[in-house]
Amino acid sequence: MLSTKIASLDFATPLMTGSGTFGHDPAALRFLNPADLGALVLKTVTPEPRHGNPVPRMAEFEGGIVNAIGLENKGLAYWQDTVAPTLEGLPVPVVANAGGHCADDFVEVVKAFQDMNGVAAIELNLSCPNVQGGILYSTDSIGLAKVVTACREVSDKPMFVKLSPNVTDIRPLAKAAADSGADALTVCNTLIGMLVDWRLRQPVLANGIGGMSGPAVKPVAMHMVSQCAAAVDIPIIASGGAACADDVLEFVVAGATAVQIGTAAFLNPAVISQIASDLRSILAQENLTLADLRGSLKL
Amino acid sequence: MSLSLDSTQAVLAPIVATREVGEQTWVIDVEIEDITSDFGPGQFAMLSLAENSPTVIARPFSLYERPAPNRFTFLIQKMGKGTAALVDAPIGTMLRCLLPLGNGFDVAAVEQDVVMVAGGVGSAPFLIYAQQRIALGARENTHMFFGGRTQRHLFDHQSFDALGINMHYSTDDGSHGFKGNVIACLATELDKKRISKKSVIVACGPAGLLHAFADFARLRNLNAYLSLETYMGCGFGVCNACPVPTSVDGKFTDWPYAKTCTEGPVFSLADISI
Ligand SMILES: Cc1cc2nc3c(=O)[nH]c(=O)nc-3n(C[C@H](O)[C@H](O)[C@H](O)COP(=O)(O)OP(=O)(O)OC[C@H]3O[C@@H](n4cnc5c(N)ncnc54)[C@H](O)[C@@H]3O)c2cc1C
Ligand SMILES: Cc1cc2nc3c(=O)[nH]c(=O)nc-3n(C[C@H](O)[C@H](O)[C@H](O)COP(=O)(O)O)c2cc1C
Ligand code: FES
Repeated sequence: MLSTKIASLDFATPLMTGSGTFGHDPAALRFLNPADLGALVLKTVTPEPRHGNPVPRMAEFEGGIVNAIGLENKGLAYWQDTVAPTLEGLPVPVVANAGGHCADDFVEVVKAFQDMNGVAAIELNLSCPNVQGGILYSTDSIGLAKVVTACREVSDKPMFVKLSPNVTDIRPLAKAAADSGADALTVCNTLIGMLVDWRLRQPVLANGIGGMSGPAVKPVAMHMVSQCAAAVDIPIIASGGAACADDVLEFVVAGATAVQIGTAAFLNPAVISQIASDLRSILAQENLTLADLRGSLKL
Repeated sequence: MSLSLDSTQAVLAPIVATREVGEQTWVIDVEIEDITSDFGPGQFAMLSLAENSPTVIARPFSLYERPAPNRFTFLIQKMGKGTAALVDAPIGTMLRCLLPLGNGFDVAAVEQDVVMVAGGVGSAPFLIYAQQRIALGARENTHMFFGGRTQRHLFDHQSFDALGINMHYSTDDGSHGFKGNVIACLATELDKKRISKKSVIVACGPAGLLHAFADFARLRNLNAYLSLETYMGCGFGVCNACPVPTSVDGKFTDWPYAKTCTEGPVFSLADISI
């Protein structure tokens, strides 16, 4: 009832984890029934190890959190040796997420993902606000097109391009990604924000700024999903603030084919199973399918 | 004790009792069925209200006591809205609990002297720790240094008194026990050789206290363990919000950080750099 297709891949449900919110490896899968999860999206991998930002790296505000993890990860070689072997034979498809400073970085990681049997699809993180250079590709459609084209040349696996909301108009970037061979767009990464401790006259996060996620960003993501769905013909994977079945259905109506659940998993690592079960009952009750609802937004 | 995520469960469970135990601090009892895994001293749970949580992420709390197989208690100091929601919730309120999490304290061998050092709600992991020492038959050589700002900050000290272990209290204002901080109190007893410097010394408390304790323990070459209260986003190893710097010659040689939630919160002082 919830099965969903993107490019050549069949997913059990339209629900995915959000990169960086469900780990670097499949350990946390144990909280979920595999029949409820469309795909496991893992934390961004960069060619070289990255130690991440100083602490505090996360803080909460009304309705969300702001994080500046700084893409801490042990790098591609470690991932290849240690994580990739654990992905083979998992009951859910794995989406590996690539990051880097320049086009060559992305190509290096994507090439490696292409050769890993356990990786079903690739997501390009062209939108991390917390590392220098990360945002460049996400705000400039020419730069973005270069990276996507170069990655497309080295991989025929389904490729999702994750866009940044930190732009005045997301549509040129969505089009650039689609025209360069993206199979789907993930819309969107975190919104840049800052929290201030007025007593200390300092930002709360050591990095100063960070990426906002959680319920407060849902309206921004919703708007961008609807804009992207109208601008391109490839599937949209929504990301931003979804925490319950109604949120997922709202994104589907706005044009999303799948929805990633990130921050909500921190409160409840089993939330995706809960949402899947709620979706099944709502759709049965209303006698509707996901296809009936997808993109049905009346504007 | 070492546990992987394999024994961690996400459950909904009611608050069945609440009692105030000092300044802005309560013990809440939660009834949780079917937790078969060990849940030991120093391990923790992520707690939040099951419905209408005023916070977007849960909050970490050490296991305080397990008075019955299905009953788990937590010592909670009201700090901000996450802790306020938990301690103000009426009996019967359902909590979302993720537990057990993290690596706790090893209950050292019977013949090993153990010294617990707690500042304020840093006492939380030590009630069950002391109970386990007593069950081993190690009451006489188990000591606890319990410090607080005032007598009202020596939370639930009657429960510790009742154990019959060697209690050493200190308060900043001298309203109960030694006047001064808990480390000064420990220093005095070490200097007088009433505490062996070969003891295993385990500490828990606010960051300032733990930093001071780390300096003190290094200077004196003590066999020290710390339970850290690092900010946590998820508590189960997926978000990278909780790094603690590792030492170059400790057991985490492959990376400059360890995750407090899954590799701690209890660390040997030799393994971390704080
Ligand atoms: C492993 C571990 C065990 C702990 N055990 C206990 C315990 O047994 N009893 C107890 O009273 N407290 C314990 N704490 C501390 C407790 O988690 C924080 O006091 C609580 O999260 C504060 O939340 P708040 O919303 O009330 O306060 P906030 O308004 O969010 O913040 C108040 C203060 O708490 C800190 N804090 C906020 N969120 C977290 C978080 N998620 N993790 C750590 N610190 C945070 C902030 O930096 C700030 O200094 C423990 C912390 C950790 C990491
Ligand atoms: C702690 C944290 C770490 C994240 N790390 C990454 C990352 O490594 N790569 C990435 O593409 N997105 C990362 N994100 C963004 C999420 O995948 C997601 O797009 C965003 O949080 C919005 O969705 P949400 O509101 O459901 O969390 C991270 C988000 C958080 C909160
Ligand atoms: S709190 Fe999320 S990784 Fe430790």
